[in-house]
Amino acid sequence: MVEAARRTEPAGAALTLDAVSSGYGAVSIVKDVSLAVGAGEIVALLGKNGMGKTTLLKTVLGMVTLRGGRITIGGQALSGLSPAKLVALGVGYAPQEQPLFQDLSIRDNLRLAVPSDRHLPDALERLVGHFPFLKDRLAQRAGTLSGGEQKMLILGRALMLRPRLLLIDEISEGVQPSMVERLRAVLLAERATGLSMLVVEQHVAFALGLADRYAVLKLGEIVDSGSAKAPDAQARVIDHLAV
Amino acid sequence: MLLTLDILTTAAILFIVSIGLLAIFGVLKIINFAHGAWLTVGAYCAVVTAKLGLNPWAALPLAFVVGAALGGLAEHFIIRPLYRRPLDAILATWGLGIVVGQLITLAFGRDVQLTPNLYAGTVAVLGVEYSAYRLVALGIALVIGILFALTIERTRLGLSARAVIINETLARSLGIDTGRVRLVVFMIGAGLAALAGVLLTPLTSVDPNMGVSWLIGAFMLVMVADASFLALAAACLVFGAAQVLISTFISPILGSIAVAVLAALVLRISPKGFSRA
Repeated sequence: MVEAARRTEPAGAALTLDAVSSGYGAVSIVKDVSLAVGAGEIVALLGKNGMGKTTLLKTVLGMVTLRGGRITIGGQALSGLSPAKLVALGVGYAPQEQPLFQDLSIRDNLRLAVPSDRHLPDALERLVGHFPFLKDRLAQRAGTLSGGEQKMLILGRALMLRPRLLLIDEISEGVQPSMVERLRAVLLAERATGLSMLVVEQHVAFALGLADRYAVLKLGEIVDSGSAKAPDAQARVIDHLAV
Repeated sequence: MLLTLDILTTAAILFIVSIGLLAIFGVLKIINFAHGAWLTVGAYCAVVTAKLGLNPWAALPLAFVVGAALGGLAEHFIIRPLYRRPLDAILATWGLGIVVGQLITLAFGRDVQLTPNLYAGTVAVLGVEYSAYRLVALGIALVIGILFALTIERTRLGLSARAVIINETLARSLGIDTGRVRLVVFMIGAGLAALAGVLLTPLTSVDPNMGVSWLIGAFMLVMVADASFLALAAACLVFGAAQVLISTFISPILGSIAVAVLAALVLRISPKGFSRA
């Protein structure tokens, strides 16, 4: 089943991981993971806390050192690329841990995510198109937004520069159902424009509803993968997450 | 009146001397013990300007450029590998300060250098004759403070620097070139220190080790300010006042150590210093 993700890898894959290992210091977190996200495809990466999902994303972003294997984005091999170069390559990232500068205004948070102020008007227009409530609140401190609103800001920020590949870390965590719906609608609209996504999640129904394929990460290894639309997908994933 | 002017101008001079150190400490989280050396380099820029027969004020831009350039080289070749080892960075910058001092001694000798006064004479302020230069220094401190605040609050560099201070990992993941932010901030900090060196020349003798005594005061003020710009201004006023009052009413010798002793006391009582306000 692990091979399933690789077998369907299209020629113009947005992201490929080939036998990737990484970790911090002496501790190995991600072990021999192979995974591909095709152009315009959404892949859900599921797993419980501490299984290595976030470390995997950070490895792709060059924030955790790659110990073994190979990562390509849009066919280009990544080795030692800075996050700035990745942004230029069209990689968007919606982080989970400390994702915002709480004490800075929403506008300043967004300014920090564009390469120069020249890009800001277009980027803001895109953001407000996705999440209109932010329009009149740009001067507000980011920390004054509710949890769900912050998640929308994080997703909107990651989409501002029209990325070609989006890496999302638990965007639905702690968000009330109506707001999860809003996040899903925005992600589906973006997918329709050809955006590829690797969606790290623990919310199984949300992730499988969104994704084309899924993979389950357990203790740093992929233990199951398949079509997210398979009739037994949800039951299998829940089974893995329960153990 | 005289006392008030002394306090204000002393605070201004302390502020000018410390602001470059604060910028570097705030963003880079390292204590730049080469700060005294940049001050000295700036003062010798004034010496060189005088020897070339230029207008003494030309030393200000010259010092800023020389300080920033040397700072850039120091950041790139010495400081950059040491960000994760702050104690080693202290040693390295201390060593760098000694090397710079020795190079200046080689080039200019050990002797005290004379520099022309930037602004001679006195002016009458509300009935007291007061050093015109000290008042000019007060004005310059205000200008530096305002420009510094505008840079922090209004420019993209300032925003990036604040982002690096608050959460460097997030700043990096958003694509901010944090290495470049560090380099530019270090250059500005060293440039400001050299600028301060020029501004000190009318007030102190210029010799290869002149920076060291000022370094200690600046270091104490920055520790008390805990990287906050407004807290630094407040600390300069309070400690400047203490220094002037103790020097005037008790003893100039005690006055000269007032900043260091008071800073140690403040940090003993409140480890976050003035920045909580």
